[in-house]
Amino acid sequence: MSPAANDRQLVERIAAQDQTALRALYARHQGRVFRFVARLVRQDAIAEELTNEVFLEVWRNAGTFEGKASASTWLLSIAHHRAVSVLRKRREESWNEEVAAEIADTDDDPEVVAQKVDKSALLRRAMEQLSPEHREIVDLVYYHEMSIAEVSEIVGIPENTVKTRMFYARKRLSEILKAAGVDRGWP
Amino acid sequence: MSDDKLALSERKEIEMLLPWYVTGRLDAKDRARVEAYLARDPAMRRQLDLIREEQAEDIGANEVLGTAPAGALERLMASLPERRPGLAQRVAAGRLYEAVVDFFTAPTARGVRLAAIVAAVLVLVQAAVITTLIVRGDNAGAYQTASGQETGEGIPLLVTFTDEARAPAIAGLLRDLDATIVDGPKPGGLYKIRVRTADRSEAASLAVQRRLTDRRDVVKSVLPAKD
Repeated sequence: MSPAANDRQLVERIAAQDQTALRALYARHQGRVFRFVARLVRQDAIAEELTNEVFLEVWRNAGTFEGKASASTWLLSIAHHRAVSVLRKRREESWNEEVAAEIADTDDDPEVVAQKVDKSALLRRAMEQLSPEHREIVDLVYYHEMSIAEVSEIVGIPENTVKTRMFYARKRLSEILKAAGVDRGWP
Repeated sequence: MSDDKLALSERKEIEMLLPWYVTGRLDAKDRARVEAYLARDPAMRRQLDLIREEQAEDIGANEVLGTAPAGALERLMASLPERRPGLAQRVAAGRLYEAVVDFFTAPTARGVRLAAIVAAVLVLVQAAVITTLIVRGDNAGAYQTASGQETGEGIPLLVTFTDEARAPAIAGLLRDLDATIVDGPKPGGLYKIRVRTADRSEAASLAVQRRLTDRRDVVKSVLPAKD
């Protein structure tokens, strides 16, 4: 049985209130979900809480899962909405630390200068400076290896927007690196 | 659109697809488009290297995050809402009150469907009963006074009761006479009563009137009445 079919079967059992199936689905996908939300909210405690909320929602709504998308797409879609509501709340509460940190990061402090010798570390640091929307799409494409249609389903945007958002995320990445003294020759 | 603009547009479209080309998540049609373009413009291959670098760093950044901490699963399992037995199971277990309260306070999709079916059946039964009554056209559903139907038999009389007469005393007197109030109160506080008897002679009527007037504590006046 394929992993996707196995997942569908687990969700069907969860709909029938089978706790063992929920444990199995959790074991299979919690790492993926936890990392996805942790990269967005950047706090492990909140990421853990959101991960549990995702599986709690699966427990409650497994009966509504139609199986058109894969279970992992469904899980990340729930996770996306949960994380976005946390980020939105943060933005409403204050001019958040994340923004302040991003501005500070644009300066060439001694640490950054030292890192310039390590292109790999710089690239990773530049990725951290992307906006949550850009970080999310980069993670979905590169780490979770989601197709255009799957990203569209998870984030809730049209497929053309998926392509342009990814394009501009990459473009922004190059701009950040250029500002840090690394010209990638693109765009 | 000029050829230059078309070429630029196609280049941008291909560039937008490259990340998925690298991850192997393009559909066959788009993959063929990208490969055809790469064959024509080998310089574009440089982009593939950049994307592979980005992907490698992104994977590294994700993998260092680890997973949800130990104990998170147990916390999740402990927080699961308690499984509720079905309505039938609870009714069988004698927890009818809880089942009914739960049915209305926490309706499930199945519960709502059940309620809709019950409501529809009640409406149909009601409609059937009303139709039957109309079609039969008998007096089963006709209006009747609480004191009974006027039959036209027995001796009809008009009576006024004293101001002090209490309901139990009036009821007792009517019972003794085997009489029923068939109409009233009319103007002047008159009630029409009918005494059940086969003898409708004048003598019988006077005898009944006498029995009534003898009860001065209850009856103020008595008059013969027509059917």
